[in-house]
Amino acid sequence: MIWQQLQSLAGSYPLALRGLGMTVALSLISLVLGTLLGFGLGILRTGGNRLISAAIGAWVDLIRGTPFLVQIFLIFFILPELGIELDAFTAGIIALTNLAACFICEIVAAGIRSVPTGQVEAALASGLSRWQRMRQVVLPQAMRIVLPPLVGQYVLLIKDSSVVSAIGLTDLTRVGWLVVQRVPNGLLVFFLVGLGYFIVCYPLIMLARRLEQRIGAAHGEVQL
Amino acid sequence: MTSNPKGQANMTKTGMIDFRGVNKWFGALNVLKDITLSVEPREVVVVCGPSGSGKSTLIRCINGLEAIKDGDLIVDGQRLGDPATNMTRLRTEIGFVFQSFNLYPHKTALENVTLAPIHVRRIPRAEAEKDGRELLAKVGLGDKVDAYPGQLSGGQQQRVAIARCLGMRPKIMLFDEPTSALDPEMISEVLDVMVAVAEEGMTMMVVTHEMGFARKVAQRVVFMDAGAIVESGTPEEFFSHPKTDRSRAFLSKILRH
Repeated sequence: MIWQQLQSLAGSYPLALRGLGMTVALSLISLVLGTLLGFGLGILRTGGNRLISAAIGAWVDLIRGTPFLVQIFLIFFILPELGIELDAFTAGIIALTNLAACFICEIVAAGIRSVPTGQVEAALASGLSRWQRMRQVVLPQAMRIVLPPLVGQYVLLIKDSSVVSAIGLTDLTRVGWLVVQRVPNGLLVFFLVGLGYFIVCYPLIMLARRLEQRIGAAHGEVQL
Repeated sequence: MTSNPKGQANMTKTGMIDFRGVNKWFGALNVLKDITLSVEPREVVVVCGPSGSGKSTLIRCINGLEAIKDGDLIVDGQRLGDPATNMTRLRTEIGFVFQSFNLYPHKTALENVTLAPIHVRRIPRAEAEKDGRELLAKVGLGDKVDAYPGQLSGGQQQRVAIARCLGMRPKIMLFDEPTSALDPEMISEVLDVMVAVAEEGMTMMVVTHEMGFARKVAQRVVFMDAGAIVESGTPEEFFSHPKTDRSRAFLSKILRH
């Protein structure tokens, strides 16, 4: 019985690989886009313009305060009603990128706010432009604060990508649903699905830990 | 008002730094009261007064770290707050030394000095670094070019901060209590550097209670209290014959030891 199930599972490995590939592709693309967008939003969020800052804050709160599943449904089912046709993959990328950007925006904004005002004043006093102050003085110091939670957030977002199976994308989670219909052993199948996510996430968890240690160590040397 | 083709304030007598009836409020608090003060090129002016008297605010207005409410403040011939004045450009002509140094902790001493020359003045890196090394040597830190601020003492950090300002070849240097955060044994090493800068003919405004420094290089001491300039004169006059009760009370406190 269990032997038959295992054999049948072994036959599903191309499907499993496809699912894993989909999960990795979704995560990778939306994390890269979400990081770029999140840094941009975080910089604008802490910039001088109150209106822009408030608008970003409201959007971030809205996204953080609603279930990701609902956001995906809205993007996948509501946008076409407004005449914007999206395939499931694009809808998934948009939803995940938006989610990533909102969380990363808050992490980046917190990092920027942690840089002492004296640093900005020193940069200002020596005539650095707004962008130069950000690029040369503020961001490098903010990164110490930003990096560990950023990588931690990546792990959460990779796991959140499982929600896109709800709109029919054949990611690792959906492969689990498909396989379990042929091999009726949910415990075994979803154990393997979980293992797949863990294999992707664990290196990042280790990286986050390493970064935290390295930055902790560097802190003694570079104070202020 | 005399007719002026450029439509600027009347420029009959313009110092390097010219306060004309400047006022500033923090909320309801009038932190600068009708300040009129002119600093000539190559002049060294020491500003002193009790804490909260507005002396830091006064010099922070000069490079626009604080905005003034009314009156005119003309620096190097340019009126602050005027749309024609490029504040970023003007700031490159004004060095500012902070009480808490504010060195960039993620950059070495040399990188702290060369950052603005490379990115703002667009000086080639090699040239800026050669310049930076010379400036660090000049402030007595030729052996610390590759040290990070966290590896330097307070006095050394402040000397790097002065070198960082000098790297921009400014016309004006402002010092906001540059030795107040230092251990006593480090104060003189910073003051020595400041004296050297003054003797090279820099226009300087220095907020400090270091009266030895004032006697040595200042042409004028300005005493502030409660946001207003109460008294102004040569160091000799001010220390030997303070004219007001408030300046006498202040001097008796800081010179008691």
